[in-house]
Amino acid sequence: MTATTRDLMRSAEIKEIVRSAYAAVALSSETVAQKLYSPEQLAQVPQVSIEGALGVANHLRHAQIDPGETVLDLGCGAGIDTIIAAFRAGAAGRVIALDFLPDMLERTRAAAAEIGLTNVELLEGDIEAIPLRDSSVDHIISNGVINLAPRKARVLAECARVLRPGGKLTVADLTVDEEELPPEIVTHPATWAG
Amino acid sequence: MAGALTERDFVTKIERAGFTKIEILERTPMGVDDCTLYPLFTTDVLTLMRTLIPQDRQQTIGTAIVVRAQLDA
Repeated sequence: MTATTRDLMRSAEIKEIVRSAYAAVALSSETVAQKLYSPEQLAQVPQVSIEGALGVANHLRHAQIDPGETVLDLGCGAGIDTIIAAFRAGAAGRVIALDFLPDMLERTRAAAAEIGLTNVELLEGDIEAIPLRDSSVDHIISNGVINLAPRKARVLAECARVLRPGGKLTVADLTVDEEELPPEIVTHPATWAG
Repeated sequence: MAGALTERDFVTKIERAGFTKIEILERTPMGVDDCTLYPLFTTDVLTLMRTLIPQDRQQTIGTAIVVRAQLDA
């Protein structure tokens, strides 16, 4: 993407487009979850999270989450990754589920409550200004979220701030080729949220 | 998708934030058909994609990657 097309939408406008799109999206399909996750993983997760899965890969296959860790799920959405990570972190650990949409946090809360997980904490906030203390997290996971942020360097700087020294980052995200997509697509609001 | 970086730019930003041991563990092509699985892609943008993106590019308009890194100790 050129600087010109990137400049077509300012940061606040992009955030509002993303917020509106995710607030309005109908989450009632298992197709994304069925494509990305194993049956064993899905067996752990309540339907409310399975139907809300919007990630782009199964990064948890590669995430070494140890019992007792404090994990931050950056942009938790409906909570599928939060739930799977919470099982791995165990009772001595916890998963902080961060999202900027209360409706998504409510889905994550409902999912955790349905299966009696007590190590999930909900946090409403912006991934460009993570409302956590410095060096307070062992592991950050995120799935298809960073590409939605207008200031990605800021997001990653925030990740570095809240992670303890030696802390781990395991993220899935969408990348694009050097060859650009047509401008009509790049400037379409639906492609800033999707 | 419109806000996605190239893999090289994404990795550079991770590195600049202070992460080391950066590994790309998965690369999965994402095409227009994959976009239809996501309710965030509206019918009109999917139609635009099928109309404006050359047929030979429609199978890979992006790549989902999994990255693992560690913050400098």
